[in-house]
Amino acid sequence: MTAAESAAAAAEPSPVEGKYVYCIIRNDRSKEFGEIGIGSGSRVYTVSFKDLAAVVSDTPIVIYDPTRENVLAHEFVNETVMREFTLIPMSFGTVFRSENDVLALLRSTYQAFTDVLEKMQDKIEFGLKILWDRDKVVAAIERENDEIRRLKDEITRNAASSTYFARMQLGRLVEAAMEEASNRYVADIHEQLKDVSVASRSNKVIGDRMILNAAFLVDRRDEKSFDERVKAISLQYEDLLTFKYTGPWPPYNFVNIKLKLEKAI
Amino acid sequence: MGLLTNILLAPFLGPVWGTKWTLDKIDRVVREELTDDTPIKEDLLALQMKLETGEIDDAEYVRREAQIMTRFREVREWRERFGMSTSGGPVRVAESGESK
Repeated sequence: MTAAESAAAAAEPSPVEGKYVYCIIRNDRSKEFGEIGIGSGSRVYTVSFKDLAAVVSDTPIVIYDPTRENVLAHEFVNETVMREFTLIPMSFGTVFRSENDVLALLRSTYQAFTDVLEKMQDKIEFGLKILWDRDKVVAAIERENDEIRRLKDEITRNAASSTYFARMQLGRLVEAAMEEASNRYVADIHEQLKDVSVASRSNKVIGDRMILNAAFLVDRRDEKSFDERVKAISLQYEDLLTFKYTGPWPPYNFVNIKLKLEKAI
Repeated sequence: MGLLTNILLAPFLGPVWGTKWTLDKIDRVVREELTDDTPIKEDLLALQMKLETGEIDDAEYVRREAQIMTRFREVREWRERFGMSTSGGPVRVAESGESK
């Protein structure tokens, strides 16, 4: 299906009913999650194979753009399911042509799904993004670093005569000190969260203010401790860093099952 | 006439061989650029971050998101044209994956 066709299909839903798959859970009877599906709020229910179930909703065969609205709908279903079940999230936009195709997925990946569900039992994910305020960090570095402070004072005192070289030297020192500070903060934060989390993963930072973009896998039992620890750390760094703390999420960053899927024409 | 033709066409005739090679290379570079959605994903994440930090308002977000979605669709179309895999859309379990 081309993008043009998908746009046309979105405007005029095709009569062919597909299944949008949100996640895989362990459950051996059928279960309803309400009318919260992607697109038009269609019914979310389960398609079961043995003790596994795919959480799905009916959908026309379309390509879903990853707009905020669509992504939130996908996430909202997973959040709802998460209240009762441990789940393996499917990637956004996964549509199967029929219930039989969903059953084929459960059948062929039964063992891998079962193993991962076992490992992820009662585990949740939290996201932690940390941004710094460059000016405040530079100020802090100037307070703490004698060499930088001295050089800066010198340049300010002899503004007219201070050489290009001295300024370059200062810039380089500040740059290095900032990188060192960033590494120190990140290492300290990881260290403090170590005993309240099971695993962590660092993702690529977004934009030039971010110094950490991490996901933490946490046991449900430790949810409160993790929460309190993050709050304590954010207080500790209040003057320098901004914390963006989200969750609980399904373990998006800690499940990596390569599904052997192909395009269904 | 003959001489003039040579002179007129020289800059064009001359580097033909070289141009072809360069075009192949450009073709490859362009193709990679046309079919890579990584920078679009990064732009989308950056845009969300800007909304979260209050750098842009909701209306601005919606406007820029629409532009990013258009780019996603274009890349998807190019990938289809080049016979490459695309994310989203209907899938089924690959034959080889159903051995058991």
